[in-house]
Amino acid sequence: MTYRIHPALIVFAAIVFFFLLAPLVIIIGSALSDTTYLTFPPRGLTLHWFENIFEMSAFRRTGITSFQLAFAGTALSLLVGIPAAYALNRYRIELPSWLSTVYVLPILVPEIVFGFSLMKSVTVGLDTPIFLTLLIGHALLVLPYSVRVVSASLASFDFSIEEAAISLGSPPLKTFFTIVLPNIRAGVIAAFILAFITSLNDVSVSLFLTGPGISTLPIQILAHMEQFFDPTIASVSVLLMLVTVAVMAIVEATLGLTFLTK
Amino acid sequence: MKHFRSWSLALPATLAVLLLLVIPVASTIATTFGESAGPFAPYIAFFKSGFRRTVLFRTIEVALITTAVSLVIGFITAYVIARMPGRLKSIAIIAAVFPLLTGVVVRSFAWLIILGKNGILNDFLIWIGAIAEPLSMLYTEFAVIIAMVYLFVPLMILTLVGVLEGIPNDVVEASISLGASPAATFRQVIFPLAMPGLIVGAVLVFTGSFTSYATPQLLGGERQMMMGTFLYQRAMVTFDWVGASTIATIMVVVTIGIVLIMSRIARRLNPMAV
Amino acid sequence: MTVSLDIESITAHYGHTEVLKDLSLSVKAGELVSLLGSSGCGKTTTLRLVAGFLPPTKGRIKLGDKDITRLPAHTRNIGLVFQNYALFPHLSVLENVAFGLKQRGVGSDKRRKRAGDMLDRVGLSPYAERLPAALSGGQKQRVALARALVIEPPLLMFDEPLSNLDAKLRIDMRVEIRKLQRANGTTSLYVTHDQEEAFSISDRVAIMNAGKIMQLDHPEVLYQRPANAFVARFVGFENLVPMKVSERDGDRVTAEAEGGGSMSLSQDSLGPIPDEFVLAARADGLSVRRAGEGLPVTLGLRTYLGRAYQYQCQSTAGELVANGPLSDPMEQGGAAVLAPHFEQCCILPVE
Repeated sequence: MTYRIHPALIVFAAIVFFFLLAPLVIIIGSALSDTTYLTFPPRGLTLHWFENIFEMSAFRRTGITSFQLAFAGTALSLLVGIPAAYALNRYRIELPSWLSTVYVLPILVPEIVFGFSLMKSVTVGLDTPIFLTLLIGHALLVLPYSVRVVSASLASFDFSIEEAAISLGSPPLKTFFTIVLPNIRAGVIAAFILAFITSLNDVSVSLFLTGPGISTLPIQILAHMEQFFDPTIASVSVLLMLVTVAVMAIVEATLGLTFLTK
Repeated sequence: MKHFRSWSLALPATLAVLLLLVIPVASTIATTFGESAGPFAPYIAFFKSGFRRTVLFRTIEVALITTAVSLVIGFITAYVIARMPGRLKSIAIIAAVFPLLTGVVVRSFAWLIILGKNGILNDFLIWIGAIAEPLSMLYTEFAVIIAMVYLFVPLMILTLVGVLEGIPNDVVEASISLGASPAATFRQVIFPLAMPGLIVGAVLVFTGSFTSYATPQLLGGERQMMMGTFLYQRAMVTFDWVGASTIATIMVVVTIGIVLIMSRIARRLNPMAV
Repeated sequence: MTVSLDIESITAHYGHTEVLKDLSLSVKAGELVSLLGSSGCGKTTTLRLVAGFLPPTKGRIKLGDKDITRLPAHTRNIGLVFQNYALFPHLSVLENVAFGLKQRGVGSDKRRKRAGDMLDRVGLSPYAERLPAALSGGQKQRVALARALVIEPPLLMFDEPLSNLDAKLRIDMRVEIRKLQRANGTTSLYVTHDQEEAFSISDRVAIMNAGKIMQLDHPEVLYQRPANAFVARFVGFENLVPMKVSERDGDRVTAEAEGGGSMSLSQDSLGPIPDEFVLAARADGLSVRRAGEGLPVTLGLRTYLGRAYQYQCQSTAGELVANGPLSDPMEQGGAAVLAPHFEQCCILPVE
């Protein structure tokens, strides 16, 4: 670089990184504390609170529901999102320009408003099963990631390659899977990861859609916190952070983390 | 049908959004205008009530402060990251991404531990002798703001690192070769070129904090009710769906209004997109 | 104010890689010198060192009598023209040109006037209020040129300024750059990978390879009398034939190629000939004949050039390229001799 940065700025950035990471370290520390209340630094070390999570059926059940929702919701959003992204890029002139705005509505409309409206119109209005409404909510919530991230990678895809394959005798649908999909692989993986994490961590949409017997992990954590203030929550948080680490490892292995700033 | 193929591919996603998002949200908004007391009755009631006005203004205030603080912190940090050598830069980006991928509940929860009566911040302040008795910092506007800043700074950093890295190096070098000092180059070249990114970041943070639920719920509680928590309370505790829909409509109007206005400004400021 | 530029035995590194080794170069006051070479040869590095964007590990850079080696880049007062124009996208054309004046504390009215005059000189006055994005490539480069010239720098540097323009515009622009440079008498350093561009625009050209200057001279000399095999190949001598002197008779020398074929050469036209040397010739400089004195070859593929036929020839010295007359097309696989036109050949030392 042409010019060095002022040392004061470097110090400032270091403090910011401390501010970003210290709270997470504090959670890990409190999860290991051998006390019945939350404290940091931990007094005595124990893994007891981790065992506790698995003994509490509420965490186990909602954890499973959350992962099911994240997988199914993300898959559903990609299932309708990839064709939409393809159509937007391949047939740009045929489709109206407002269409791409439609697909970002789920992040444009406040999540909590979306959750509330879905509860009113679908759960109550149509009397749908709770899991189905949750699935609809999550799939729609993450649809913008599917469409936009896949679109971004289709934007740099050269469609003449697809035409070349078709001219060589490959049928259109097969061409999509053998030629287009492998070339937008990075975009699909990125979309999957962003969507999955968003769904897994969602509070505002799920808030209104959970019901008797079916809840998601973040909602369960919130409910637990209102009654107890023990290290169980910290240890659940640590487990969720481990999921994040796993996801980042996947991103790093497949795409490289720098793609996140693009 | 002329554009059969393009439409058949785009239709499932389009229908899903229209039927399951646009119609329900539109019906929420419509609810507020169907009152027998007159079309604007719920809004008149909302703005007549001192408590509800306070909630709205508090939410706007918290969102504005969060946005301003995140902008300053995010911009300086992103500027330093953008100038780091390759390896250090990846580490810094990982450090910023990690909190972003960790859930809102987990990240807000950390501040419960830090700011509590027996939390580490109180312990620390007593230890250095700054205070004698623990302060009650939870369930204050300060607690909500600090947790929200914590929530949104990573987003701001990532947005701005992308923008700063997009500024071509030779434009910066051109400025230097023409005699502009590092400070002048920053003021006259880098900052104006980062402006559209600052606007995008500000919109993301403002709308995000304006409509948030988990953070105000955990750190503000009943005492620091904000629009998100207020909406939930109206809908699920008092079952006042018209009142809840009114809050929802105000949230939609503010959010979409800000997005439209700011994206228009950003477009005007973006010289690359002529 | 015209001053000279002296680069004195500069060494530079990128990380741990040495990109320039002990490089020296002098540009006389008012002269335009080009650095010519393929990518990675160190030409752009040299320019960045002079600009102050890269600190040298060793050596000294002097502008006139002033040592600028350790001077911060923004205080060097050097006009730079970039390959990608590097215009400020958020400033109007006029503001772009006035930018350097603003840094020098020139008042608002005065700098608008001077920037306006400079835009006039490059023919862009009507575009003064536009943003750079609204201009064509050629217009952008004119703005970049005006922006560098308006600060009246003692040294102008160009980094591949024309490589993003189309062929026709490239020729117009290089004439324009040369005219402006001549009119101002500004000492200039010009980096390019385009031989024709370098030769047409420069007083002298430095041909670079692997961080070293292979030869620095007037374009005519480089083109006709390359000093070594690298430069010879670079300027289009396709045929390099190693030879040995077998007989000397005053000015006349008889030499033999490895594997047969002898010819007699004149030191009068070719200069002094050492006992072992390399004969360098372009395709034009070797004539294909059915018989006579010259290098024996087997003819390969024949292509039609319009003014002549060109043959790929197989000789004991390797693959050679030579031209033959249109009046006498020869068949592939036939035997022939290549006779040099000595006025178009040159003698290189063995390396």
